[in-house]
Amino acid sequence: MKSEEKNIKVALVGNPNVGKTSLLNHLAGTTLRVGNWPGVTVEKKEGKTFYNGYTIYFIDLPGIYTLEPLSEDEYIAYRFLTEEPPDMILNVIETPNMERDLFLTAELLELGIPMVLVLNMIDEAQKLGVDVDTERLEELLGLKVVKTNGRTGVGIKDILTAIVETYEKKITPKEIRYSEDLERLLTSLRESVKETKQQLIKKLLAHKEYLHEIERLYGKPAQQVIRENRFAFAHGLYNEVVKRKPITSTDITTLLDRFLLHPYIGTVVFFLIMFILFKVSFDFSKPFMDWLDGFLNDFVSPALGLALIELGMPDLVLRFFSEAVIGGVGFVLTFTPLIAVIYLLLSFLEFTGYLPRIAFLMDRVMHRLGLHGKSLIPLLLGFGCNVPAIVATRTMESKRDKLLVIAMIPFMSCPARLVVFSFFAITFFKNPALVIFSLYILGIVIALITAIILRKTILRGSLEHFVMELPPYRLPTLRLLFGVVWVYLKDFLYRAGTLIFAVSILIWLSMNLPPGVEKPEDSIAGKVGKALIPIFEPIGIKDWRVSTSLIPAFLAREIVLSSMATIYLAEGTKKKEEFSLSESAKEQLFGLLSATKEAFYSLINPLPRTFEVSEEYSNLRSVVSKSMDELSALSFMIFILIYTSCLGTISVMWREAGKKFALGFLIYSFLMAWLSAFIVYKVGSML
Amino acid sequence: MNLEDVKVGAKVMIRDLKGKEEVIRRVEAMGLRRGRSVEVLQKLGRTILLKLNNSRIVISKDIARNIYVE
Repeated sequence: MKSEEKNIKVALVGNPNVGKTSLLNHLAGTTLRVGNWPGVTVEKKEGKTFYNGYTIYFIDLPGIYTLEPLSEDEYIAYRFLTEEPPDMILNVIETPNMERDLFLTAELLELGIPMVLVLNMIDEAQKLGVDVDTERLEELLGLKVVKTNGRTGVGIKDILTAIVETYEKKITPKEIRYSEDLERLLTSLRESVKETKQQLIKKLLAHKEYLHEIERLYGKPAQQVIRENRFAFAHGLYNEVVKRKPITSTDITTLLDRFLLHPYIGTVVFFLIMFILFKVSFDFSKPFMDWLDGFLNDFVSPALGLALIELGMPDLVLRFFSEAVIGGVGFVLTFTPLIAVIYLLLSFLEFTGYLPRIAFLMDRVMHRLGLHGKSLIPLLLGFGCNVPAIVATRTMESKRDKLLVIAMIPFMSCPARLVVFSFFAITFFKNPALVIFSLYILGIVIALITAIILRKTILRGSLEHFVMELPPYRLPTLRLLFGVVWVYLKDFLYRAGTLIFAVSILIWLSMNLPPGVEKPEDSIAGKVGKALIPIFEPIGIKDWRVSTSLIPAFLAREIVLSSMATIYLAEGTKKKEEFSLSESAKEQLFGLLSATKEAFYSLINPLPRTFEVSEEYSNLRSVVSKSMDELSALSFMIFILIYTSCLGTISVMWREAGKKFALGFLIYSFLMAWLSAFIVYKVGSML
Repeated sequence: MNLEDVKVGAKVMIRDLKGKEEVIRRVEAMGLRRGRSVEVLQKLGRTILLKLNNSRIVISKDIARNIYVE
C-alpha cells in the first residue's frame, strides 16, 4: 500500500456549543493549530493523530445549525463539504438536544459522504433521562455511532476505531427516504447512480415545473416542503431511538441564571468579573513581563555581547545581535504572559457558557451604540492593553461586529500612553489629573466617532435580528483550557510575533545606520525626523528631536520618552558596565522569584496596579520644558493618544482583520490624530 | 397572540412563523418550529430568553413579534 493511501481526512461538523473544540483537543492534542478560512476572519482549527497505521487529519468546521448557506459560517461549511469533500464527516451531536441536532444530520446525510455519528455529552443526557438506543440508530442510518463525554475524554478511542472501521469497510450511510411524492420527483431527475440526494434536490429547486408540481401536490413552496421533510426525518428518528424517562431536577443553569442574568444583580456581577479579569490579566502578568524584559536586556544581551567579542566581531554586528535581535525577541516575548493569561481567562468564560450571556445582559446598553453586547469585554480590556483586547474579539461571531470593535479598541487609552501623558502633563500643567482624564474621554469619543463613520461606510448592516443560543453552564477541565491556550499562543508567536520582530529590527537599523553614526542627528531616523517637520509644524511640533523620537516610538508609545532622552541628552545607548556572568545569573534568578511573589501579591491587593506610574526621566523634564510649550505639549499628547503608535496593536490587527484593514487603520489613526491635534493647537493659539 | 406579548414564566405552543424567509430558516433550524412548546424565561431590553426542550435561545423582539403562539 502506498503511504498516501493511509491518510484519512475527517471534518468535524455540528451545531454551535456541542463540544467540538473539546473533542478536537482530545483527538489531536498538541498538533492542534488555529488559522483562518481563506479570505475571512472565521477561525479554522486543524490537527492530526496517528492510529492503527493511519494518519487521521481533523478539520473543524464552524458550528452551524443548517447547511443552507445564510451566514458566513454556513457558507464556509457548505463550500468545504461540497467542493472539497473530506473522506469522512464526524457529526457531533449534543445528546440532550438530539432532535434539533438531527436536522443538520439529515442535511449532511444528503451529501452521501461516509459519516461517523458522535453522541457527545452523554453524561448530561443521562442526567436528563435521555437514553439513546445506539444499536438501533446504527441500524437505521447504516453508520457507526459513538457515545462520548468530551469533558473527561471517555469514548475518544472509540471515535478513532469507528473512523478506521468506516474507512476500511467502506461503510456508507443509507440514503434517507423522504415522503413518497418528493422521492418520486427526485428519482425522475436522476441521470446517474453517482448523484447524491443533495445534488438531486439542487436540481429540483432549479426546475420551475418541478417547483410548481410540488406546490400543487403539497400546497406549499418547495423549499418549505423539503425543510419539513428533514424535520420529519429528525423527529421520526428521534422518537425511534430515544427513550425518555422524565426526570425533574433543579438544574444548575436555571439556578445560576436567576442571578447572573438578573438585570441588576447580573450587571453588578458582570462588572465584578470584569474587574477580576482586568486585575488578574494585567497586574498578574506585569511582574513577569518586567522580569523577562530585564532578563533579556540585562543578562542575555550582555552575555551574547561578551561571546561575540570573543569571536572578534565588529562593533556594529555585535550591537546588531545583542541589541536588535535580542531586543526584538524580548519585545515579542514581553507580550506572551499577557496574551496567555487573557486567552486562559477568556476561554474559561467561554467554555463555562458565561460569555454569550454577557451579550444578552449587556445588549440593552450596547445596542444603543450600535454595538453587539459582547463588544463590552474587548473594549474594557483595551484600557489595560490594546493587544490582548483585539485578540479578545475572537469571541464575536459576526465579522461586521468584530471589525467595528477592533477599530474602536486602539482609542481606549492604555497604561503605555499614561506613562507619556503623566510625563508631559506634570511637566507642563498645573492640574495634570484633569488633563489626563480629558484625554481618556477624548479617546472614547474618537472611538465612537470611528464606529459611526464605519457604520455609515464600509460596515453597513443592522443589529436588528438577534438570535443566539445560551448553552448550559459547564465546568471546563484544565487540560482543555491549557490545550486551547497553547494553540492560540503558538499562533500569536508565529503570526504576530514574526511581524513585531521584523519591524523592530528595521527600526533599530534606522537608528544605527549608516555605519558609524555617533549622533542620532546623523542616522536615517534623524534625517527622516527632520524631513517630517513640515507635517508636524501645523500641530505645534517644530523640533526635529520630537518628530524623530516618534520613529522608535512606533514599537510602543512609552518608548517616546526613552528615545527623547537619548536624542535630547545624546546619552548614547552603550553602557560600559562590569558584567559577570555568574553574578548576573544569580541576580536574574532572584528577580524571577521576586516577580512571582509580586504577581501573587498583586492578586490580593484590591486596587489595579496597572495605572501606577513611577517617576523617571527627571533630566529630560528640564530640557523638554525649554523646547516645548503648554499648547504644543497638549497637541503632542493628543497626537500620541490617537495615532496607533504601537507595533503590537497593528500586528494583532493584521492577524485578526487582515493586512488591508491594519494598514488602512494605521493611516486613518494618523490622520485623525493630526486633525485633532491641529484643531486643538489652532483653537488654543487663538485664545 | 405573538411571542412578544407572552408573559414571563408562561408556556406556549408555536402556531406559525412569519417574516423574512432567512430569519425563519435560522430560528427553525435552532428548534423554534410549528407545534413546539416554549417557555418565556426572561425579557430584557429588546430581547427575550426562551426555553425550548433542553436549550435556551435568545431572540430579539422583532423576531418574537412574527412568531404566533397559543
